[in-house]
Amino acid sequence: MVIVADLEAGIGTLTRLEDESVDATVVVVEPTPRSIDIAARAIAVADERKQGRVIVAANKVADADDERRLQAAFPDHSLLIVPADPVIDRADRDGLSPVDVDPISPAVSAIESLAEVLLT
Amino acid sequence: MSGSQETRLKVAFTGKGGSGKSSIAGTFARLLARTDQPVLALDSDPLPGMPYALGIPVEDEPTPDDVVVEGPAGGHRWVLRPGLDAASFIDRYATICPDGVRYLQFGNLWGHISSLQRAQYAWSQVVRELDPDAWNLVGDLPGGTRQAMFGWAKYADTVLIVVEPTVKSMHVGRRLRNLADADWAPEHLAVVANKIADPDDVRRIEERVGLPVIGVVPADPAVLTADRAAGAPLDVAGGPFVESLHALVDSVQASYAGTR
Repeated sequence: MVIVADLEAGIGTLTRLEDESVDATVVVVEPTPRSIDIAARAIAVADERKQGRVIVAANKVADADDERRLQAAFPDHSLLIVPADPVIDRADRDGLSPVDVDPISPAVSAIESLAEVLLT
Repeated sequence: MSGSQETRLKVAFTGKGGSGKSSIAGTFARLLARTDQPVLALDSDPLPGMPYALGIPVEDEPTPDDVVVEGPAGGHRWVLRPGLDAASFIDRYATICPDGVRYLQFGNLWGHISSLQRAQYAWSQVVRELDPDAWNLVGDLPGGTRQAMFGWAKYADTVLIVVEPTVKSMHVGRRLRNLADADWAPEHLAVVANKIADPDDVRRIEERVGLPVIGVVPADPAVLTADRAAGAPLDVAGGPFVESLHALVDSVQASYAGTR
């Protein structure tokens, strides 16, 4: 069985998990200095608590500059790029799953590849 | 009411994570300070947000542990050390920001919240004991409902829920409406509608949350530009966001003038 947990924003829940609770931690980061700062704190906690492999999912990436900035911030991690995608905004607005709005949109496709990364 | 001493605003911003609370709270604080009002920005989020909106660097440990000593049996676990009171604490440890805003935080985490325990006790005591006539208070709570429902915004008589036009954000806003039934219910509980691109979104938010909308903040690419540049929206660009925040300051000040 695969268990997927969506933790509270920030690092509070992560700091309260027992060590080695999960096989992998996906840290979602946006291309802003504030988000990068908080993601760095989450990675530090996940590493310290041995919460499996850490995968950095770079979300809302609009262009190559965003990607470069994020890669520079996390040089020890290969990034899983989730592009900025109006399908996600539409799904959020309407309370729908992005998969149901457009299963082959760029962001949904990227998240599908995240699943593949996690299962390998 | 520029420069008036009779009314001090006590405002806290809450809402779902990512709704734009910190950007709005920080900008609100600075614009209020520009009306010659003394403003103390209160940050109870253990992760950095408000400093970016205020235009100051992130500082993880703004107060040394020795600002507190063990409290008396049956009282608070940590209390300000002898010789240090709320006024002198603010004078010494509240960061001076652009436009003269003073910024009081307990710090930012790299691990478990226990590392900030002493600083949190100090922050809470200062907020409880500060002279309410000396400062306008503008608070920024962490995303979600927890802190607000546990009374972290007791200092505020106006709590503003920042809501964007997404189902999740409106859902959190609806839950925060329960603050009206808490022992520490604020005198005024209202919504700031953020990231508005379609006027109909304001009606949706008002209906779904069930509270009046006191301010409408348009979707403004300048805020994203500021976010990417780690700059305060006020320093990076003018535009619709800043204009709407001017209007929000006016609306909140008017609500005080009208009822208090």
